Amino acid sequence: MAQAIASTNVPRWLPADQLDRLIDVLRADGRTIIGPTVRDGAIVLAEIQGAADLPAGRGDEASPGRYRVTQREDSRRFDHAVGPMSPKRWTFPPRAPIRLGRRTSAGVRFSGVDPRPTPRPTPLAFIGVRACELAAIKIQDHVFLDGPAVDGDYRARRASAFLVAVECATPTSTCFCTSMGTGPEVTTGFDVVLTELDDGFIVRVGSPAGVTVVDALSLSPADGSAMKAAEAVVAGARDAMGSPMNMENVHEGLQASPEHPGWAAVAERCLSCTNCTLVCPTCFCTSVVERSDLDGSISTSERTWDSCFNEGFAKVAGGSFRPLVKDRYRQWLTHKFSTWWDQFGSSGCVGCGRCIAWCPAGIDVREELAVIGGVGPVPMPQLSVVAAATEAPVTISPGSVPAAFVTVHVDGSSRETADTMTLHLNTTDRRLLAGRPGQFVMATLPAFSAAPISISRFRSDGLDLTIRAAGPATRALTELERGSTLGVRGPLGRGWPVEEMTGRDVVIVAGGVGLAPLRPLIDACLAERDALGAVRIYLGARTPTDRLFVEEVGRLALRMDIEVEETVDRAGPVWLGRVGIVTQLFDHATWDGRNAVAFVCGPERMMQATSEVLFSRGIDVDRTWVTLERNMSCGVGLCGHCQLGKFFVCKDGPVFSLAELGPAFTTDGL
Amino acid sequence: MSTRSTVDNALASGWFGAGLTDAARAHLADMAHLTSYPIGEVVIREGQAIDSLAVVVEGRLALRLNVPGRGAVTVLTIEPGDVIGWSALIPPHRATSTIVVLEPTSVVELEGAALRARLDEDPILAAAVLWRLLDAVARRLSATRTQLLDLFAQPDREPW
Amino acid sequence: MSPTARRSGRRRPRVGVVKFASCDGCQLTLLDLEDDLLAIAERFDIVEFPEATSRRSAGPFDVLLVEGSISTEEQLEELLRLRRESTTLVTIGACATAGGIQALRNWSEHGPWAATVYPRPELIESLAMATPVADHVTVDAELRGCPIDPQQLLELLTALVVGRRPQLPDESVCAECKRRGATCVVVSQGTACLGPVTRTGCGALCPVYGRGCYGCFGPRNDANVVSLIANTAGLDDSVASTRLAGFTAWAEPFRSVIDDHGGPPGAKP
Repeated sequence: MAQAIASTNVPRWLPADQLDRLIDVLRADGRTIIGPTVRDGAIVLAEIQGAADLPAGRGDEASPGRYRVTQREDSRRFDHAVGPMSPKRWTFPPRAPIRLGRRTSAGVRFSGVDPRPTPRPTPLAFIGVRACELAAIKIQDHVFLDGPAVDGDYRARRASAFLVAVECATPTSTCFCTSMGTGPEVTTGFDVVLTELDDGFIVRVGSPAGVTVVDALSLSPADGSAMKAAEAVVAGARDAMGSPMNMENVHEGLQASPEHPGWAAVAERCLSCTNCTLVCPTCFCTSVVERSDLDGSISTSERTWDSCFNEGFAKVAGGSFRPLVKDRYRQWLTHKFSTWWDQFGSSGCVGCGRCIAWCPAGIDVREELAVIGGVGPVPMPQLSVVAAATEAPVTISPGSVPAAFVTVHVDGSSRETADTMTLHLNTTDRRLLAGRPGQFVMATLPAFSAAPISISRFRSDGLDLTIRAAGPATRALTELERGSTLGVRGPLGRGWPVEEMTGRDVVIVAGGVGLAPLRPLIDACLAERDALGAVRIYLGARTPTDRLFVEEVGRLALRMDIEVEETVDRAGPVWLGRVGIVTQLFDHATWDGRNAVAFVCGPERMMQATSEVLFSRGIDVDRTWVTLERNMSCGVGLCGHCQLGKFFVCKDGPVFSLAELGPAFTTDGL
Repeated sequence: MSTRSTVDNALASGWFGAGLTDAARAHLADMAHLTSYPIGEVVIREGQAIDSLAVVVEGRLALRLNVPGRGAVTVLTIEPGDVIGWSALIPPHRATSTIVVLEPTSVVELEGAALRARLDEDPILAAAVLWRLLDAVARRLSATRTQLLDLFAQPDREPW
Repeated sequence: MSPTARRSGRRRPRVGVVKFASCDGCQLTLLDLEDDLLAIAERFDIVEFPEATSRRSAGPFDVLLVEGSISTEEQLEELLRLRRESTTLVTIGACATAGGIQALRNWSEHGPWAATVYPRPELIESLAMATPVADHVTVDAELRGCPIDPQQLLELLTALVVGRRPQLPDESVCAECKRRGATCVVVSQGTACLGPVTRTGCGALCPVYGRGCYGCFGPRNDANVVSLIANTAGLDDSVASTRLAGFTAWAEPFRSVIDDHGGPPGAKP
C-alpha cells in the first residue's frame, strides 16, 4: 500500500480554472464541502458549492484584537491565513447530542442518541486546511481517540472527514507556527495537499483515499519550474514570520511560576470573555447541557463547548477552585503551553495565532510567554513531539473506561445524617462489581446533570453509594427509594493502592463525608488483617449527628485488633467523646510512622494539616495518599473540568500520593 | 498521700511534662500534688477565680462555653498530657470556660500563687515552664483557628 | 424535588405573573412560547396573569414571575405583600433585575424633569429612584434580558417541575457568538460591543446581525468593564458613559463606571 502511494506521489498539476473538478469528485462521493469564504467581514469556513465561493483575490491582516479582510488585484484563492473558525467546528461541534435519558414505567434508561435519521454523520471534505490546522487535528485525535475513554462522536466525524490541505503563502503578523514546529510546510496528516501558484495548483497525495481522488482527475505531472515556484512559496511564508521564539524553557518555566506577578498583570486586561478558548483549534473543554421536556421524562444530554475562563467551570458546592480571573488565565496558558506536554506528549498550541487576533482586548500570548514563561530570544530548530514524562508511561488501552450509563436498582437506603444518604444498589454489571476501593461513579437521573459519587462499599450483588445532598441533582439522588432506578457509569478513576498496605502499619484519617471513599479501604484492611501491621483509624466530624456509619464505627471501635479514635468539632452536653480537630487525635501519639502508609480524605485544608502532622510522625509524602474533589462533568478525562495542574483528577486520580502531587496540592487557585 | 516521685512520673507521662527538663519537672513535682475528679464534677466555672494550674494525667474533661439560647457547647476536650488553668498564671486569674469531667480524671495540680512566686524567684525554672506553656498555648491557638474554619460545614444552600 | 414541587405536592403549582414599572414585553414572552403553552398550562395553574387571562388571584403563589422595577410607593407595598404570598419569586427582565432604562432617572432629580414633561407635575408621585426588585425583597431566581429569552423561560419552568437547578449559564455573549459562528464585530469591524462584559442568554442576537451588544442582559460575573473601555476597539472614555447608560445602567459595575465618567449623558433637563 505504501508503495502504491509512493509511485503515485508524483506531484501533479491542476490548472486554476479546473479546481471545481476536484470539488466535484469529492461531491460525487457524497461529501459536503467545507472551505473558506468571505462572510460578515471575515474569511470563515462554511459549506461551499464550488470554487466560485472561495475568497478569490481576498487576503487578511491580523494583529492583536484586530482582523481585516483585504482586497488584491489577483484572483488567487488561498492567499490568506486563518480566520476565526477551524475544522474543529465540524469534527468537534459546539453542540453535539451524546446521550438520551428516559423515564419509563420500567425505570430509567440511558442510551446513545437515537433514533438518528442517518446512522453516521454526513461525510465532509475540508478544502484549504493549513499546516497548523492539521497539527491541531492530530492533537485532538490524540486527546479524543488514544485515551482510556474514547469520544465516539468525534471518532465518527473524524473518520469520515477528507482533508485537502493548502500550503501557506501569506502568513499574518499573528502567525507563529514556526515557533511551535507545526508549519508552514504541510508534511503529514492530509489526504491531498495543494500548493497554489498564479495559474494553478501543484497537487500531492498523502493517503490511499487521496490517491483515489487524485487518480480520478487524471492530471499531468507538475513540471520543474512549477516545483521551484512552490518551494519559493513555502520559503517565503517561513521568512515572513521572522525568527521563531525559543520555547525550550516554557514547559518548566510556566509550571515553576504560579506566583509570577505577570499573571496579575495580564488579569487586569483579560475580559475572561472566553474568545481565545473558543477560537482555539485544540481547546476541548466542554460541559453537558440537559435538554428535556417539561417534566423531565425524556432528556437529551448535549456536549457543549465550555471554557476554563468561566467561573462556574471549576466550581463545586463549596465554591470555585479558581475564583480569580488571574487563576483562570494562569490555568489556560499553563495548560496550553506546559501541562499539555505532561498529559499528551506535545504542546497544546499550534501557533495559528487566532487567540491573539480574536482577543477583543488584544492580549498576545507570545508577549505573555516572554514575560512569564521564560521564552528566549535565540531561534530554535523545529521542535519535535517529545513526551516530557516524569515517570514511566502507563500502558493505557484506548476505550478501556466504561463509556455508557447502566441502569441500577435501589434496594434500599440508609440515612446517615440530615443531608447524607447511603443508597444500596443492586447490579449484575461485572465492571461495577469489580471496582476497587477509592473509585467512584458518575450517577445521574434523566434531566439532571451527572454527579461524581464515591463508592462506599462493594458487595457481591451490588454496591453502596454515599451521597450528600449538596444541590438539586444530588438531592434528587438522595430521595430515591427502594425500587427506584438510576443511571451509573463506572467504576472510574484510580483507587487506593491497597497493595501498599501489605506488611506495613496503616493509618486512616477521615474528615466528615470523607469517610465514604475510605470505607471500602477499611473493608479491605479487615479482609487481610493478618498481612498488615498496626491499623489506626482516626475520624473527625462537625458534630456528633454529622458522623457517618455510626453503628458500624461503634462495632469497629470494639475490635481489639484495630485502634479507632473519633473527635467532633463541637458538641452539646450529652457527648462524652473527644472534641477538637482531627489532628489532635494523633499529634501527640507515640507511634512511629516509618513503616506506615497513610490514607486521608476530607476537606483539602484538613488533609493538608493532617499530612503535616503525619510527616512529623515519620510518614513521608510518598507513603501518604489523599483523594481529591473537583468539578467533574464527564468523569473520564475528556471535558477538562477537573484539571489540577497537569492532572485530570477523574482519570489520574482521584487518589494521589502527596509525592506525585507536589506543589499542586498547596498552590492557591490552581 | 502522693510521693514526689509518683507526681514526677505522672508529669513525665504526658507530652507537656515530658518536654520539660528533668530538673524543671522535679521542681514542679515538689510543689504539686495528684488529685482526682469523678464523672460529672464541675472543676471550674466560666468567670470564677482560678487558683491552680493542672496537667491531666488520665481521663477526659470538657471545655464548655455557655451560649444563651443554645446552652452549653463543648468546644474542646482535654486529654491526658494537656494543661488547664493557665489563667492561674495570667491576670486577671479568671476561668475563661467551664470545665466538666467526662471520664474519671486524675491531674497533677499546682497552686497558682505559689507557682507564680516560685517562677518569680527562679528565672531558669520560669523560662523552662513558660516556654513549654507557650508551646501548649500556641498549639491550642492553631487548632482553634482550624476549628473556626468550620471545614465540615455545609455551604449555603442555593434555593434550588 | 424543587421547593415548589415539595410544597405543592400533587396539585399543579399556582403561578402568578405581575408587573410593576415596565413595558410588559417580558410577560409576553410566556405567551410567545406557543408550542409549549399547552404543556405549560397543563402543568401549572396560572391563577393571575392580567395580560393573558381574566382569572384573578391575590395569592398565595407557588411561583410568582415579577416584571418591572419599583418606581412608586404603591408598587413597593404591593411587592412586599406579594413576597409574603409567594414561595418562589422570580424576577423577569432588565427592569426587574437591574432597574431597566427608567433607572437612568436615578442620576437626576426627577422634579425638574416632571415639570418639563407634565402639565400638572404635582399629580406625579414617584419614589426618588426606580430600583430593581432585589433591592427590596429576597429573589429566588432571575431571568435577565430585555426582553427575556423564551428558551430561558422554558428552562426555568422545566427546572421548577423537574426539581433541577435551572441551566442559566453566567458567561459572556462572546461564548454564544463563537458557538453560533458569528464573526466578532469588535475585531473584524472595530465596532463597539458590550458582549465581553454582558451575560449571555439571548443567543448573541445582536452581533449575529453585525450590531454591537448593548448589554440588555446586564453585566456578568467578573465583568471587566474598565479593560473593555481601555483596550477594545470602538470604546474609549469619551463614549463609555453613552454606551453603558442603557437598559442595565444601574447594575454594577456598569453603574460605577458611568459614575466615573461623569454620569449618563443628559442627566440634567
